Amino acid sequence: MTTMFPSPEWLEKLDEKLNSDAQYARIARNWEGDMCVVIEPGGPLKEQLFYYLDLWHGKCRKTAVLKDLSEVKPAFVLKASYENIARIMKGELDPMQAMMTRKLQVQGSMAYMMRNVPTVLDFVRCCREITGEILK
Amino acid sequence: MQPIATINLTTRETGQFSVPAEWERDYLGGASLAARLLYTSLTRDLEPLSPESPLLFLTGPLTGTAGPAVGRFVVCGKSPATGLWAESNCGGFWGPELRFAGFDGLWITGKAEGPVYLWINEGRLEVRDAAQIWGLDTYQAQAVLKNELNRPSARLAVIGPAGENGVLFAGIFCDHGRTAGRTGLGAVMGSKNLKAIAVEGGGKVPLADAEKYAPLRSAANRSLKADNMSKVFHDLGTAGGANFAEYLGALPAKYYHAGAFPNVDKVSGSSMAETILTGTSACHACVIACGRVVRLEDGEKRKGPEYETIVGFGPNLLNDNLPAIVRLGEICDRYGMDTISASNTLGLVFYLYEKGVITGKDTGFPLCWGDVAAAEKLLHLTARREGIGAYLAQGSRRFGAHFGAEDEAVQVNGLEVAYHDPRGVSGMALVYATGPRGACHNKSDYFLVDWGQADASLGLEYFDRQAGAEKAANVARHQDWRAVCDALVLCLFSNIPAEMVVDLTNAATGSNRTSEDLLRAGERAWNLKRVINHRLGLTRANDKLPKALLEPLSEGGAAGYVPPLEAMLAAYYAVRGWDPATGRPTRVKLESLGLGWAADDLDKGAGGQG
Repeated sequence: MTTMFPSPEWLEKLDEKLNSDAQYARIARNWEGDMCVVIEPGGPLKEQLFYYLDLWHGKCRKTAVLKDLSEVKPAFVLKASYENIARIMKGELDPMQAMMTRKLQVQGSMAYMMRNVPTVLDFVRCCREITGEILK
Repeated sequence: MQPIATINLTTRETGQFSVPAEWERDYLGGASLAARLLYTSLTRDLEPLSPESPLLFLTGPLTGTAGPAVGRFVVCGKSPATGLWAESNCGGFWGPELRFAGFDGLWITGKAEGPVYLWINEGRLEVRDAAQIWGLDTYQAQAVLKNELNRPSARLAVIGPAGENGVLFAGIFCDHGRTAGRTGLGAVMGSKNLKAIAVEGGGKVPLADAEKYAPLRSAANRSLKADNMSKVFHDLGTAGGANFAEYLGALPAKYYHAGAFPNVDKVSGSSMAETILTGTSACHACVIACGRVVRLEDGEKRKGPEYETIVGFGPNLLNDNLPAIVRLGEICDRYGMDTISASNTLGLVFYLYEKGVITGKDTGFPLCWGDVAAAEKLLHLTARREGIGAYLAQGSRRFGAHFGAEDEAVQVNGLEVAYHDPRGVSGMALVYATGPRGACHNKSDYFLVDWGQADASLGLEYFDRQAGAEKAANVARHQDWRAVCDALVLCLFSNIPAEMVVDLTNAATGSNRTSEDLLRAGERAWNLKRVINHRLGLTRANDKLPKALLEPLSEGGAAGYVPPLEAMLAAYYAVRGWDPATGRPTRVKLESLGLGWAADDLDKGAGGQG
């Protein structure tokens, strides 16, 4: 089952996916850290979106749609325009390419991130697999 | 452009000349302009270590400005390691200082009777006795000379004992471990009895439109500082990607014969940042500061290794001891040896020892993978050219040939392969096979494009990391862009949008180029270096990879894959406009780049002069 991105239902679906996907559980088994994905408005998206995920040892402990970043202090903040996030979700933009060509800004420990690139890539795979329609 | 200073060390005659305006327009500066300037000097019968062999230091139109990451200069000539075109660029502060002193380059020929150094100050060039520093290591020599000159702010380019002793992978060193390491130009400098070049200047770098340049470079510096890659390089150094490279099977281990190195994290940039790192160091006008400062058990702060040194003395030798890697890198820096070629050649020794091709009788002591003490002994022998070091000092190709195993050496045309395995990142197959100076990772750091750094502003597409011939055009375009960077001379880590580079170049030079104009200048330089190499004896057969890289690995992220080199080369020649039978640029291609005169030379034969 897939669902529309972005939407609260999509985030719930991602929570389920991350907690049931065996490959993600294996690859992300050492990951410890929450993150907030900040989606900048553009196109059909009129307001900033803040999707929070608490990821821990191959599982997702919590998800939430936040009003802004004042509510949490996540280990990582991933920020991109709606256009680029949508392209990543559709599989048109590789997440490493996005990170290396200024389309996805990363804030947080680079030491941790660079050790765990495979986890990030598999996280994106999970996102893609639950993404159906894209907001237009 | 400011003038280029000249000196003949045999006659001690000095002078200066101005670069023709059309050459400045067509070649920009740096390595590209050097190729044009040296074209007639680099002949097939020129012995690279002879007095006649030229050594040309050049800066670029951005060198010494206030950014972004523009502290580099390049040294060019004929390589004693490869017999082909030699270029090696270097960061730090020496290049900017040369421009502050009123020169954009320094062209050295001849050979001094005894050890000398050059002192360039306020537009003057002097030859001074260097007997007191001959034999000193690269750090000692800089300290003694600064003290002797009583100029603590002077900048020095020096060679170490390896350059004095003719080690064919000796480099030229500046500041605290900044290196023009590849192609053996330190040996060329040593062959001229030239120990050092000290520079100090108080002038300003000339800019065609300084008012326009200032806000552009401020914006470029801000853009560079905000880039994710800059953060990685700043926080973790260039080894920040070691874990990912290993995951892809692109990090060579056990002299390119193992596909995985499970302990990679012990030697990664991340681990260095969390254990021995005490600070960072930056070149002139750099907001990244990729240089590492580390502290080991002795409490002394020292240079920390970058990716190539870490992999070369780490996984390549099956060594996961990071402090030991730091020390092996420092030994090379002090002797003045390139860490890539040194560690690669050591890897071949360990490999041939394991295979029984060489024994303890050859080395003088037993070897086993991961033996740091043995590696250290071999480095000392190499720099001093003692025992087996006499063969090691000639690089892996000649070492292998001496022991009847040249095909086991992981090198291309005499330059040792860097630590980006084309089985994990296939674009490097073309990069190594066609590079103008041998198996170099800097004439195109295409491994980063294979990771994802496919910048659309350069017209680059993103292909699978193990795609084949379909990425040939992309590789060629990236090579052309890097030729532009080597002309400017812009650090490869200056990951700003191409439009910014264009605007900066235009403001610095008073031109009105587009990005396509710059790429065309890069393509022109790439083809000119190719012509130079053909004149020096290069043939289609030189475009190859060593045996080890064409055998599949049995484990890791690249297991089972071998890049389809011949298909990739065929596509590459077509894209380049090169004859697939000879590998030579066609007349049509050369004429389209304004190099018809070079086509005439190729037609006349390798001995032709332009």
